[in-house]
Amino acid sequence: MNCPLETRENAHLLLDYCARKLDPESMSVLELHIAACSACRNFAGGQRTVWQAMDSWEAAPVSPDFDRRLYRRIEAQVSWWSLLLRPFTTVTLRRGLPAAAMTCLLLVAGILLERPAVSPAPVANGVAQVDTVQPEQVERALDAMEVLDQFSRHLRAERPGSKL
Amino acid sequence: MAERVKTGISVAVATLDFDAELMLRVKEGDGASFGVLLEKHRTPVVNFLYRMVQNHAVAEELAQEVFLRVYRSRGTYEPTARFTTWMFRIATHLALNALRDGKNDRLQERLDDDSGELPVRQVFDRRPSVEQSMVYEAKMDEVRRAISVLPEKQRAAVLMHKYEEMEYSQIAKVLSCSESAVKSLLFRAYETLRARLAHMA
Repeated sequence: MNCPLETRENAHLLLDYCARKLDPESMSVLELHIAACSACRNFAGGQRTVWQAMDSWEAAPVSPDFDRRLYRRIEAQVSWWSLLLRPFTTVTLRRGLPAAAMTCLLLVAGILLERPAVSPAPVANGVAQVDTVQPEQVERALDAMEVLDQFSRHLRAERPGSKL
Repeated sequence: MAERVKTGISVAVATLDFDAELMLRVKEGDGASFGVLLEKHRTPVVNFLYRMVQNHAVAEELAQEVFLRVYRSRGTYEPTARFTTWMFRIATHLALNALRDGKNDRLQERLDDDSGELPVRQVFDRRPSVEQSMVYEAKMDEVRRAISVLPEKQRAAVLMHKYEEMEYSQIAKVLSCSESAVKSLLFRAYETLRARLAHMA
């Protein structure tokens, strides 16, 4: 087999060998190689020394009040929320439905008051809008007025006492 | 396609680790499951953080933050990776930030009663001699220094590899890098450690 130290990609095989994480077959192959390769032997020896030294580095035990402090922090966060919601919950409980209805009413009123007033559509290019009247329309209007005039005259002739 | 998605989901559910299941129960409002997770991971997380920042008080403060974040994230938790991968990602992120912010140094000044700071080996029953204690302390000091001079990512990788016995793929997910990058980080880190601790053989 090729020396694992010759290629960076395979160097981890030696680490795995030292940690006894390789499968039995790979372990025996590497064992044979290490017996013949001084560089790998040195690597393995050095690695065992490192791990033995690291094994003896014990961390201090966790403080006995660790959980209590953590739960207090969690509680504080939960309390913060309940503190915010407390006024609403007490009012609801005390006043019940009427208070909720009143709140809804106020909300609706608020929304209606806050709604922007309907503004007229803006005039294009700042030019005043002028209705254009066609001559036919004028003629039709005059005709209608004439018909009405004739009609009222006819009525007056039929009823002389009338105020029309 | 739908069949494949269905199969994928069932595989994911089947391979859910127990911690992820506990976390899903926490998500559903089961506070006791959070207690189980805390009991199980408290010591590994504190120890990992202690070895990262090398200050016990800071390590505990950071560990509190880790569990607080785990609890806070319960609502949005999705078991896309192993629970420990997710938790150690939070822990590593906090440790790296603490190291970069120099929080460790500032707190070191504030919490300078080091009586509970240095890990005292539980060897009182064997009653080590003064000489033995001194040798042990000197040895530990060397190991601590050797680890502390490693670049932050190398340090995190070595600690997860050695003490948490994580696989390369898991370390890669925690550190958000490729598996080959992790192998390279570890190779360089152990190279440094072998050079610095060779005389301990």
